[in-house]
Amino acid sequence: MSAATEAPLLELDGLVTEFRTGGAWHAALRGVSFALARNETLALVGESGCGKSVTALSIMGLLPPANSRIAAGRIRFAGRDLVGLSEEAMRKLRGNEISMIFQEPMTSLNPVLTVGFQVAESLRYHRGMEGQAARRAALELLDQVKIPAAAQRFDDYPHQFSGGMRQRVMIAMALACRPKLLLADEPTTALDVTIQAQVLALLAELKSAYGMAMIFITHNLGVVASIADRVAVMYAGAIVETAAVDELFARPTHPYTEALLRTIPRVDEDSAGLAAIPGQVPPLSAMPPGCRFAPRCALREAECEATDPALAPLPAAADHRVRCRVRAPATAAPRHA
Amino acid sequence: MIGYIVKRLLLAVPTLWAVLTIVFVLARVLPGDPAQTILGDQATQEALVAMRHRLGTDKPIAEQYADFLANAVRGRWGDSLVTGKPVLEEVGKVLPYSIDLTVSAIVLGALIGVPLGTWSALHRNAAFDYIARLGSLLGLSFPAFVSAIMLLLAFAIELRWFPVIGAGGSGPWERLRAITLPTVNLGIIMAAYVTRVTRSSMLEVLGEDYIRTARAKGVPSRVILWRHALRNALIPVVTVVGLYLGILIGNSVLTEIVFNRSGLGKLIVSALDQRDYTVLQGMMVVYAFAIVLVNLLTDLTYGFIDPRIKRQ
Ligand SMILES: Nc1ncnc2c1ncn2[C@@H]1O[C@H](COP(=O)(O)OP(=O)(O)OP(=O)(O)O)[C@@H](O)[C@H]1O
Ligand SMILES: [Mg+2]
Repeated sequence: MSAATEAPLLELDGLVTEFRTGGAWHAALRGVSFALARNETLALVGESGCGKSVTALSIMGLLPPANSRIAAGRIRFAGRDLVGLSEEAMRKLRGNEISMIFQEPMTSLNPVLTVGFQVAESLRYHRGMEGQAARRAALELLDQVKIPAAAQRFDDYPHQFSGGMRQRVMIAMALACRPKLLLADEPTTALDVTIQAQVLALLAELKSAYGMAMIFITHNLGVVASIADRVAVMYAGAIVETAAVDELFARPTHPYTEALLRTIPRVDEDSAGLAAIPGQVPPLSAMPPGCRFAPRCALREAECEATDPALAPLPAAADHRVRCRVRAPATAAPRHA
Repeated sequence: MIGYIVKRLLLAVPTLWAVLTIVFVLARVLPGDPAQTILGDQATQEALVAMRHRLGTDKPIAEQYADFLANAVRGRWGDSLVTGKPVLEEVGKVLPYSIDLTVSAIVLGALIGVPLGTWSALHRNAAFDYIARLGSLLGLSFPAFVSAIMLLLAFAIELRWFPVIGAGGSGPWERLRAITLPTVNLGIIMAAYVTRVTRSSMLEVLGEDYIRTARAKGVPSRVILWRHALRNALIPVVTVVGLYLGILIGNSVLTEIVFNRSGLGKLIVSALDQRDYTVLQGMMVVYAFAIVLVNLLTDLTYGFIDPRIKRQ
């Protein structure tokens, strides 16, 4: 891929994001690093509470200012470091060069403003479009996300739309200014299975039509194969495994990835299969020392509970990196060959 | 919107009918013969019969009820037992003063309370927020007649900026001067309520997902505040203003007495004092109408603010 020689569009380098709870700072992200090329789609996967949304919100600069901070690391986007950028500079990026779609379509639209107005708003603040011009452009966007009879629905309010239609509106809003990067935070989780498939197909279609890079957040590995180029599996605020999609499915290496793969819900039943991994994600204030997954891991050794392993490349594929001292020992000589 | 208004108006009809019926029943079940009460212990039998005939209390109860409803609708609420003038006329004379005072108190309360509450929410837990919350607590717990007396002492008697007595006679300037202190007195209490509700509802709205969406779109924060947040935050404020009108009626009695200003409050107190039953009965209907009207206005305002309501 030629993108490897080109500078990446987005690069996270050792990002540490902390929240203050009960008077102390706790890290929700513990050194997250990855790079995303133009037009590339990265799936960010992991159980609830692993830090997927916090990663996206850190990139967007939308963390709650009162009780959160980026304690270390850099976020480079199109040659600029976003950490420490002024609020006004971030505002100019948001919705313009970086957009975000949220999980909950029912509450993510303002109930007292018309759908058309809300879509036109990005155009107004980033493109200076007003009146009829903004209306025409917003209408075109609603058409592109395949809202039936968009012209008639333009002045309707969000409560007159179904969940799937609202998510389409959210997509139209996010794409209004043709961003270079789209952060999609579980955009289909709240939808029915059939609607999920439609929205996913739409996202994939628009992504290639617009030539965007995308970070697709989900806790369902099942949808990843169809949409992503690469996968990063997160656990307790850190990436524990990352690889190209085919490679990851062919050779899942981290015990957590394996566990996740076993929980993929089948398309024909809508069970929330994630309950299948025994134990739960530790709370931020009580992270175990050593490997964060050790308490739930079947392969656990005494050493796992003492030292936190680094994200190390597999000998067979340098692009496939795993944070596990049992499966991917960082030392040259594998101990359990 | 028109359909919504018509629906709300139609819904007000049964409410008013129920109120009138309660007033009618109350007047009948209260112990004592109204004719006797009016004429006193020494009245002759003929005088009592004549009075009952005049009041209509000698007719069968069903007929009385029908008459009562018909008269109420046509505005014939009988004559004041004290002045002999029609009740409607007595009420009509003081009503404008009450409306003036109520409306100006609400406007003042909203003009102070909404910005203060919003500002307080935006600077949550900063010094300003504590001061505003303390101030509004003080405003809520302070008795209206005490603040009225203090205002009167300070601005009318000491400084002589405003007249001590009355609702003022002629001219808009005089009326404004006369209404200022009572408005400030009631408006500050109103502002205290509005500040508290605006603050808490603003805090809630600012945490909503759609505010985050607006931020993610790059909408400037001042626009998020005024266009995205305030309108949603105002819905509970409207409720409180509507409810507060009931309290305002109570507080305005005291305020009217302290400032010696005519109005419904003073009228009802003097009617009670002089046992003017017909006026009291009329006033009950007026208050009931007022409450129904306020509810109607509140509902219409909801419909105006929140599209989910009027489309239902
Ligand atoms: N505003 C906040 N204040 C305090 N802690 C927070 C806040 N937001 C997130 N966290 C914590 O950060 C951790 C990661 O949360 P995050 O929302 O990123 O999880 P997630 O991977 O997106 O999960 P989900 O699948 O449920 O969306 C969690 O432990 C969460 O409790
Ligand atoms: Mg999340």
